[in-house]
Amino acid sequence: MQGGIKIPSPRGAFRVWQRNLTIFKKYWKSIMFPNFVEPLLYLGALGLGLGTFIRQGGINGQDYVAFIAPGLLASNAMFAASFESTFDTFVKLRFDKVYDAIITTPVNAEDVVAGEYLWAGTRSALYGTAFLVVLVALGLVSSPWAVLVPPALLLIGIMFSVMGTLFTSLIHQIDYFSYYFTLVITPLFLVSGIFFPVDDFPAPVPQVAWFTPLYHAVNVCRALASGPSPVVLVDVAWILVFTAVLALVPIQIMRRRLVS
Amino acid sequence: MGAETRRKSRGRTGGSTLSGRGLRKSYGDFEAVKGVDFEVYAGECFGFLGPNGAGKTSTMKMIYAAAVPTGGELSVVGLDVIRHDREVKRRIGVVPQENNLDEGLKVRENLLVYGRYFDLPRKLVLQRADELLDFVQLTEKAEAKVESLSGGMKRRLLIARALVNDPDLVVLDEPTTGLDPQARHLVWDKLRELAREGKTLILTTHYMEEAARLCDRLVIMEGGDIIARGSPGELVREHVSPQVLEFRSDPASLTALRPILEEAADSVEEGGSVEALLAFTRDADAIMERVRESGIKVENIVHRGSGLEDVFMRLTGRRLAD
Ligand SMILES: Nc1ncnc2c1ncn2[C@@H]1O[C@H](COP(=O)(O)OP(=O)(O)O)[C@@H](O)[C@H]1O
Ligand SMILES: [Mg+2]
Repeated sequence: MQGGIKIPSPRGAFRVWQRNLTIFKKYWKSIMFPNFVEPLLYLGALGLGLGTFIRQGGINGQDYVAFIAPGLLASNAMFAASFESTFDTFVKLRFDKVYDAIITTPVNAEDVVAGEYLWAGTRSALYGTAFLVVLVALGLVSSPWAVLVPPALLLIGIMFSVMGTLFTSLIHQIDYFSYYFTLVITPLFLVSGIFFPVDDFPAPVPQVAWFTPLYHAVNVCRALASGPSPVVLVDVAWILVFTAVLALVPIQIMRRRLVS
Repeated sequence: MGAETRRKSRGRTGGSTLSGRGLRKSYGDFEAVKGVDFEVYAGECFGFLGPNGAGKTSTMKMIYAAAVPTGGELSVVGLDVIRHDREVKRRIGVVPQENNLDEGLKVRENLLVYGRYFDLPRKLVLQRADELLDFVQLTEKAEAKVESLSGGMKRRLLIARALVNDPDLVVLDEPTTGLDPQARHLVWDKLRELAREGKTLILTTHYMEEAARLCDRLVIMEGGDIIARGSPGELVREHVSPQVLEFRSDPASLTALRPILEEAADSVEEGGSVEALLAFTRDADAIMERVRESGIKVENIVHRGSGLEDVFMRLTGRRLAD
């Protein structure tokens, strides 16, 4: 009865994105601050603290701080998009009824979800760019290819937004998000090659890592930070395919929640 | 000017703007709307009156494409809602039952952002926002936070928001529920103004007074069915006698009174939750005379005209609202 798979309209998605931007412009200082400081804390504590113990030539000839910095760009995008697509989306869906209001206009439920993907990606790119500027100032990133980091973070943000929205579309209580963060996001954060190169581990660690999204996001950021090799295109393709395949699923589930 | 005179002066020249045929809605095994037919003409105010759970909101949601019909046909502004949902929504205004103003935005911003969803040019939306704030008497609150508004103000802002796209048809789901009498009267005034401008209004309510005052025609819903339809006047004439005497007293007196009333009145009903008997009649004086003759002591007698509430009670044996 719901009439097949729903494809979002770009115009409608843009309007939803625009609504979030309007809100963001009012509150960006207070929203951005924690998200911006967090990667700096990791960089300081792990990079400098742990880095002192990893002296002999660092990792792959790199300083430990310089090694983890680009990875933190990727994980920062993951966290930003994940919070946006879980807690923030759930509040708009369940408590503030923002989506119920929007779908009484020509903007449909499928556009709402697509607009949220785009917004989460945008938020990731914005935070990441601010963090990138700090990394460049600290001399930790020097390649001109780094100008491609913001669009890469946009894509990475969209990917994690699709994952987060999928989880959000399935749950009915906000408490369940702790499962998502503890069982999905934190493990990804720890084993995706940010803090140590997974590729040097024995099988099946690198093989398993290959199937996780953050691993490819870290590869892309690291490559752009130090000048890329063509291999990075495989990571980009992985992210694109994973995102494209998954993106329509939360859209259909969320539509069923919004349109009874 | 009463709703009925207005209807006569406007007539039914506008043609059908909303029509439902055998419209059904189920949630799982539960049938909330059980195949209803209705037709609304351009320019009229059409009501769905019924108690909680009657299926009013489900019907409204199908009209504005927030619920998918389980069966039947539904055309809004001449379009099939399922196939042309975006186009239908572009041309109607919606005041939902539950307040869903954007709390992150100020009062005026709510209108501006909402206008963007319709792709309206910015200049036009800016102008309309000011006009609409003036219309709903919220100009002074333009820069206020939504959370600082009273219930009545929020409802008025919802009405303003529903008008941003200048719709021909406005759907209002319980526009005055939960408002104090003063706020309710203000909303009624606004809705009457809209009706005068020629907008088609569809509203749901469980207040019979609201339906009687505002609606040209209405349907009474109960348990997912439409159980009666017509203009408020027609419904009352058709189903109940014009006058009501309400007798309130202790149960013993009422028991004694009952046979007398049953003989003298057209019909007698028990007064819902209160200890009361209602006698429907064309001649209240005659009944009063009989009661006086009987010598039965009655604590309180109210004489009033009959209304939609009585129609509902006659049809269902239950009271409409609390
Ligand atoms: N999404 C839903 N899922 C299950 N039951 C629902 C849903 N929405 C409404 N109902 C049920 O359908 C019936 C009609 O509800 P509704 O259309 O809201 O009536 P009204 O607006 O007249 O109070 C009620 O019994 C209600 O509990
Ligand atoms: Mg309702």
